Amino acid sequence: MNKGSISRVKAIAKKEVIEFTRDWRTIIAIIVIPILMFPLLFIMFPLLLESEAAELNSIVVEVVVQSEDTPDNLLGQFNASSISITQENLTVSDSLSNPGDDIDRLRSLSIDAILRVEKREDIWYYAIIHISTSESSNEARNRLIEGVTAWENNETQNIIFEQGLEVNSTLNPVRWDGDIAQGDVATQGEQAGMLLSLFIPLVLAVWTFSSAIQPSIDMTAGERERGTLEALLSLPCTRNELLFGKWLGVATITGVGVLLQILGLLFAIGYLASSSIIGIPDLSTEAIILIIASIMLFAIMVVALELALAMRSHSVKEAGSILGPAIILIIFPALFTQVINLDGVENFWFAVPVVNVLLALRELLMDRVIIEHIAIWFGTSLLYALLAAYYAAKQFSREDIVTSLS
Amino acid sequence: MSKTLMTISNVSKSFGDINALRDISLEINSGEVVGLVGSNGAGKTTLLRLMSGVYKPTSGTVCLDDGTPVDKMRQRLGVVPESTGLYSRLTAWENIRYHSRMHGISDKDSWNRTSRFAKHLDMLDSLGRHTKGFSRGMRQKTALLRALAHGPSVLLLDEPTAGLDITSARTVRALVKQLRDEGGTIVYSTHHLAEAEQVCDRIIIIHNGDIQADGSPVDLLNDTDSMNLEEAYVALTQEKARSRNEELDSEGRLTRWWRRLFTPKTPNFVEGDDSSE
Repeated sequence: MNKGSISRVKAIAKKEVIEFTRDWRTIIAIIVIPILMFPLLFIMFPLLLESEAAELNSIVVEVVVQSEDTPDNLLGQFNASSISITQENLTVSDSLSNPGDDIDRLRSLSIDAILRVEKREDIWYYAIIHISTSESSNEARNRLIEGVTAWENNETQNIIFEQGLEVNSTLNPVRWDGDIAQGDVATQGEQAGMLLSLFIPLVLAVWTFSSAIQPSIDMTAGERERGTLEALLSLPCTRNELLFGKWLGVATITGVGVLLQILGLLFAIGYLASSSIIGIPDLSTEAIILIIASIMLFAIMVVALELALAMRSHSVKEAGSILGPAIILIIFPALFTQVINLDGVENFWFAVPVVNVLLALRELLMDRVIIEHIAIWFGTSLLYALLAAYYAAKQFSREDIVTSLS
Repeated sequence: MSKTLMTISNVSKSFGDINALRDISLEINSGEVVGLVGSNGAGKTTLLRLMSGVYKPTSGTVCLDDGTPVDKMRQRLGVVPESTGLYSRLTAWENIRYHSRMHGISDKDSWNRTSRFAKHLDMLDSLGRHTKGFSRGMRQKTALLRALAHGPSVLLLDEPTAGLDITSARTVRALVKQLRDEGGTIVYSTHHLAEAEQVCDRIIIIHNGDIQADGSPVDLLNDTDSMNLEEAYVALTQEKARSRNEELDSEGRLTRWWRRLFTPKTPNFVEGDDSSE
């Protein structure tokens, strides 16, 4: 590449970035959403769940206890559970689980749950009738199960005691000795790496692909549709310079989006680490460099492929209808990669397109630097990136790209 | 004697089975304004795209005076396509500067040339504005300024007055005349004969991909024994123009088949038959 060629490529890329960032919708899509996504997901969402749980915990549930002879120590279990209890006689004659005539009261939500208790010979039988589509009914059921379990434990202990046995050793003849967490030799950082490796590759892959869609379409099919491509093609630049300049423009925009998303993610992890929910992953310098290399190779391939597919299209609409569903090509392998066991993983997985980069990211986030795997994913990723670039160059050299259906 | 700046030798251009241009040969000489006249789909735009190097000939050559193919020497060409091709999120000056940089021209030189022509086109105050709100006339003027900013040897204009109001069209024509007076070489595509007569030294009539006539307006009148250019044009082109859509239809077979599958047949109503009501 000579000096003139480099300056033309730079001019194309610069113009694309300037033009793209002048659209406020782009700024929201590329900058605001990536920054906010993970903090909202990791900080706001748990807080929201917590507040919803607290709200549910504070409600008083309406429960009917049906029994001919309700044991006092059972009712005592519900004293601290914000349960309003109404006692009734047991009316069902067959199975206690049969809702019978009580179905209307539950479906109309006039009560939240019914606990039926009956003693037959020496055994207590019970059933809880509720409606699973109501949150307060589910809450009532949970509180009843909690109370019944505690009552059952008391009953069990009483029976063991009455038989003259030692309660604790009879119920827990096998026990863990010491701190369970101490038995795991993985460091907190390694555990954090394992946890993050389950979704960071997925998010990076999907976000890289999806954030490149709009600029790819705008810079190819969009130019074709708006009629700006013809003027551009009559300039003294080669089609490959045009492709490279546009690739650089899309890659810059996508790169900024992915980088900001990673920053948002690191902020969220930092917040979670301060609350001891998750640790900071232990990553060696080699692992960090290889993570960046794998993402770059993936981005080269994805952006080139998207530019090629968009350039093949005669209009923005056509390009959108091709690139939109094409995200499945990333999502399926990404989901599939999550279930591949990394211990003893076969080498060929590191040669499968998309899967190779995702597996590489998973391994590297767990700080596993395995030379054999690196050689395979690096070589194949480079090959796929080159093939995608070749395909894009072929599309850009087509003569009909100057015409548009609109 | 004027120098030949561009030579088109035995050029044919096909799109699949459609022959858009057939064995065209002509020369563009320095200092002349050449009008390409023809109906829609005649092949004017295809010829201009071959001249600008956007299309490659199926056979034949399009070369500049030194024998270099045009696609290797695009810095000597200034092109205004029919669609103007302006970026709406850039200002007029940014649009011009972008093309100048691609031509390897410094911003200063580009500005000097641009401001000179912008004064003539009454566009100097609008150069800092985004082109999004520009009228068709302003867009056309900006595209002209952009094509002139690097000092091209040959200016290729594809229907530069199409869709313009009378005043804007007059301004554009006046600029073309000024450029001609300064020794500029311009290829001017239009389907308005009166405009071609006003502006061009030489008129080339293209019809169905063939050159039907090539000469000065007076030559055309004499050759066809006509009273005016319209009569001359009609005498030279009697067949119907082909459909442009058919010529440039680059849809894949599958796409076309799929579209036709969901297109109902056009009903054939018989006069007096009200059964469809």
